[in-house]
Amino acid sequence: MSALILEARDLVKTYPAGSGSVEALRGASLSVARGEFVALMGPSGSGKSTMLQLLGGLDAPTSGSVVIDGVDVSALDEEQRTLTRRAKTGFVFQFFNLIPLLSVAENVALPFLIAGDSAAQHRDRVAELLGLVGLAAKADARPDELSAGEQQRVALARALATEPAILLADEPTGNLDYTTGAEILALLWDSCDRLGQTIVLVTHDARAAAYADRVLVIRDGSVRDEIPLGRRADHAPAVLIRRLAALGL
Amino acid sequence: MQLGSLAWRGIAARPLRSALTIGSIAVGVAIVTATLIANQASGDAVRRAAQELLGNATLRVRAFDPAGFTPRGVTTLRRLPGVTAAAPVGERRLTLSTLPGADEQVFGLLALGLDPAVESLVRQPRLVSGSPLSEGDPTGVLVAARWASEHRLGIGDQLLIVGRLPDAPALRIVGLIDDLGLGALERGEVLLVDRAQLDASLANPTPVSAVDLVIEPGTAGAVGAALDAQLAEPFVVETAADAAARFARAQTSFAPIAFLFGLVAMIVGAFLVANTLAMTLTERLREIGLLRAAGTTGRQVVGIFVRQGLIFGVAGSITGVVAGIGLAALMIGFLRSTRAVLVDGLPIGLATLLIPALLGLVVTAVASAVPAWQAAQTSPLVALRPSARAGAGLGQRLRWIVLLELGVALVGLAVYPFERGATSIAAVVLALAFLVGGAVAAAWLLLPLARVVGRPFEWFFGAEGMLGRANLGRDRSRTGLTVGALMIALAAVVALGTVADSARQTAARWVASVLPGGTAIRLALPEEIDLFRPTFTQTPGVAAASPVAEFPAVVGEGSAVREVSLAGIDPTVFQDAGALLLVDGNRATAFNALRDGGAVLIPEPMARRDGLAVGDTIGIGTPGAELQPYRVAGILEYTFPARSPDGAILLSLADAADRFAVTTAGLWALVPERGISQAAFRQAVGDTAQSLAAEPLDATELASELARSLDRLIGLFDVLALVALAVAAAGILNALTVGVVERAREIAILRSHGMTVGQVQAMVVSEAAILGAIGGVLAVGTGLAVAWAMVVVGAPRDFTAGLSVSWPLLITTFLLGVGVAAVAGLYPARLAAGQPIVSTLKHFE
Repeated sequence: MSALILEARDLVKTYPAGSGSVEALRGASLSVARGEFVALMGPSGSGKSTMLQLLGGLDAPTSGSVVIDGVDVSALDEEQRTLTRRAKTGFVFQFFNLIPLLSVAENVALPFLIAGDSAAQHRDRVAELLGLVGLAAKADARPDELSAGEQQRVALARALATEPAILLADEPTGNLDYTTGAEILALLWDSCDRLGQTIVLVTHDARAAAYADRVLVIRDGSVRDEIPLGRRADHAPAVLIRRLAALGL
Repeated sequence: MQLGSLAWRGIAARPLRSALTIGSIAVGVAIVTATLIANQASGDAVRRAAQELLGNATLRVRAFDPAGFTPRGVTTLRRLPGVTAAAPVGERRLTLSTLPGADEQVFGLLALGLDPAVESLVRQPRLVSGSPLSEGDPTGVLVAARWASEHRLGIGDQLLIVGRLPDAPALRIVGLIDDLGLGALERGEVLLVDRAQLDASLANPTPVSAVDLVIEPGTAGAVGAALDAQLAEPFVVETAADAAARFARAQTSFAPIAFLFGLVAMIVGAFLVANTLAMTLTERLREIGLLRAAGTTGRQVVGIFVRQGLIFGVAGSITGVVAGIGLAALMIGFLRSTRAVLVDGLPIGLATLLIPALLGLVVTAVASAVPAWQAAQTSPLVALRPSARAGAGLGQRLRWIVLLELGVALVGLAVYPFERGATSIAAVVLALAFLVGGAVAAAWLLLPLARVVGRPFEWFFGAEGMLGRANLGRDRSRTGLTVGALMIALAAVVALGTVADSARQTAARWVASVLPGGTAIRLALPEEIDLFRPTFTQTPGVAAASPVAEFPAVVGEGSAVREVSLAGIDPTVFQDAGALLLVDGNRATAFNALRDGGAVLIPEPMARRDGLAVGDTIGIGTPGAELQPYRVAGILEYTFPARSPDGAILLSLADAADRFAVTTAGLWALVPERGISQAAFRQAVGDTAQSLAAEPLDATELASELARSLDRLIGLFDVLALVALAVAAAGILNALTVGVVERAREIAILRSHGMTVGQVQAMVVSEAAILGAIGGVLAVGTGLAVAWAMVVVGAPRDFTAGLSVSWPLLITTFLLGVGVAAVAGLYPARLAAGQPIVSTLKHFE
């Protein structure tokens, strides 16, 4: 693996709750190398989604630091964090979250539009991405004309649009059936393997995590275990499931 | 907890929206309440003023001859059997000044010469301060309190008559009369003075134009017979009721337009209430699904929604009625200050409070009916689906809205004050139809218009503008209704401005057409034509001068005889200057006929009413004498205002002199020489007028004066339209806030993809601004259509210059729409930008 593209150190995140507070992360640290596919796993409430939000600059840590591609996003104000997010990250969520008023192509071009460019300027890139996710024929369709899997593929194409330093996927298959979910995971893996896209995937599904090169297990707000899987074309989950069972998960 | 309490909880859960909804109803109810109260106040004031003008008098005997009654005639009237008091009234225009000095002021007033000894038996003008006229203080005068205040004058101040005899003493203000009654004449520019003192101050006595008679009860017939038998001078008798009615007709009535604006506010309010309740249904769909799944019947769900609607209705109506009383007080105060409309007091009757309150309640109840029905029809399975969307389709919702608005319009028309309005019912119905039709069309035209109007915003804001424009298509009926409400308020502004502009154009056209050369001098009293002609023709810069010698005559025979006003003019002066517009007849032929004699130009209203056309013959004469035939040579679009409501019939000065023995004129029209500067000519005319203690008249100034008076009245309606605009803005705020809440997840997604806080705000504000722009575009069309209905259909004879379209008004209104909507979008924009990304995304997982 090459140089680190993402590094989180001693992340603490507390949320106010009633008169007190809840600590979602308690000094979590991790690092991701450029072109790596990392999965974050953990039981419900372990802090994995919070971790992903901090890694993506959606939220600021209470303490600790997050460095994306050389930029310490935890030290930035809201506006600068937004601009960094725009430039360096791509997100895929469980619910596909497409803009229903825009066509498929416009949804894919959304990051460019937000950056102030016109869709026409990036027509070729959008076509390339739609080809990548197998939706070239549906460029002009509306999101509500697509199946759930197709919608998630559009969301993936959108996340890849700006060739972000890191793609963050939060339970991207959580709302899909097994076959459709596998297609999405295959696309993610393919983008990592062929295009060198760095990916951090949050999931509670071992079959999804098995696509990753490395699995980090979060418990009680910190990264407790690391399960290296290596780059594998078969994505067989058996090894991972055994290791997780050994960890009591 | 009872199920019904969900209605309360639903209201309390959304305090801002609930307040806006109640506010929307309240504003509509308030405007209707205020206009009804102000209308009542105006009617009361006109009645009271008319009553005070005649006082205890039962009959007013008016002199037919402009020279007035002779002293002998007045004595005859005083001695008629059954007459207990006879109060002569002398009228003349006076130019007065304050004492010479740095603060000297000069003004023209209508002087009413009264006999203090008998006045107290006939009428007692209400005094704001000071004392009435008295025999013991002949130089004491009364002026209207407001006029005095405007000229910084008070009791004890002295006034000098311009052109008075050398030894005439100064007049002194001893009392200030109320703005109603005698103080209402000439918009308060009136002076009550001892008639004997007036005559002693001037070279020419003031003609006694009328004598008001107080008679013993039951002697009217006998007095009438005695008048015919004993009064040798020509006269006209009016009952006090006739005189009061004539006075009332001459007053400006604002009731119809004011009420129309009350209805407009109600219609805007109804749109917003209907929209808000539909939005509530959308938001509470899942909750309704749960209730239905738990066994709540459709009827119970209807109960929740209807109860909620009634709570809104009761709260809005009560608030509206209370606010309406306050608004009425402000309106009445404003109208008093403009002096454009007579108003008095703050009459609060049960009906004036109940009608708007009931209207508010009915509107809300009907507005809540369809959401309630839709809620009851909602299947729990459908409602609990994540993708569930509530509400009827666009067509169904619009049908319901149209029915609701028609209901409001019908109720409004049922209580519409037509009796004093000049606007026809067809115009009002058309205006309402255009407003409601335009608002409904807004929903259909929303998307095509958004594509066109949204372009500049997309160009300026980029992705934010594009998304803002696209968001408008998300819920077409909701956005369409919001635009519709805004459009109605803006259309009211366009309609008002266009009507005002059309009235201004008509005023300018009228004044310019009757004054050849645009200038005239009005004498205090009619003076000998031959004696004064050189004074006018020799005024520097004057190319030609024509007297306008007004005098009374009669037309018709037997019981159909009626008084008309004639005016003798020099046809050549008017023809050469291009004055007088004919709606029928050849101009050259008509003026030639006047010069040849035996021909008249008649006003258009008279031609219409009497069915007269060019070439017809009418008989005109003096009372008791044989009528002489005159050929109608032309029909005038405008003529000089005169005692006759139709205005003056014009004939040649030669005919006036030969056939009616007219030798005097009170008005001279002056035509400037070619090439003379307007300022120099005006100065010369002013000097001549001053030397004669007369009043110079300028067409431009007269038209501006008419326009100013109109502008003050229109200003009030503009305020009402702006209130409706504020309600519409509240509707935009409401709809956009709901929109932002509904698409919170999308906004969070946009934020997660790098959309900045500023970009989110720009997106929502541009959405609002595009909405405003669409409203503005539609308002321009609809407003012009409403103005057309009011001007061309409603009162074409009052707007003879036709519909005048003011581009600055249209552009300003469009920009107003964009601006108001953008401001209304600020709060939802802030709300959208302030939503935390993480918790919003979590909420929707």
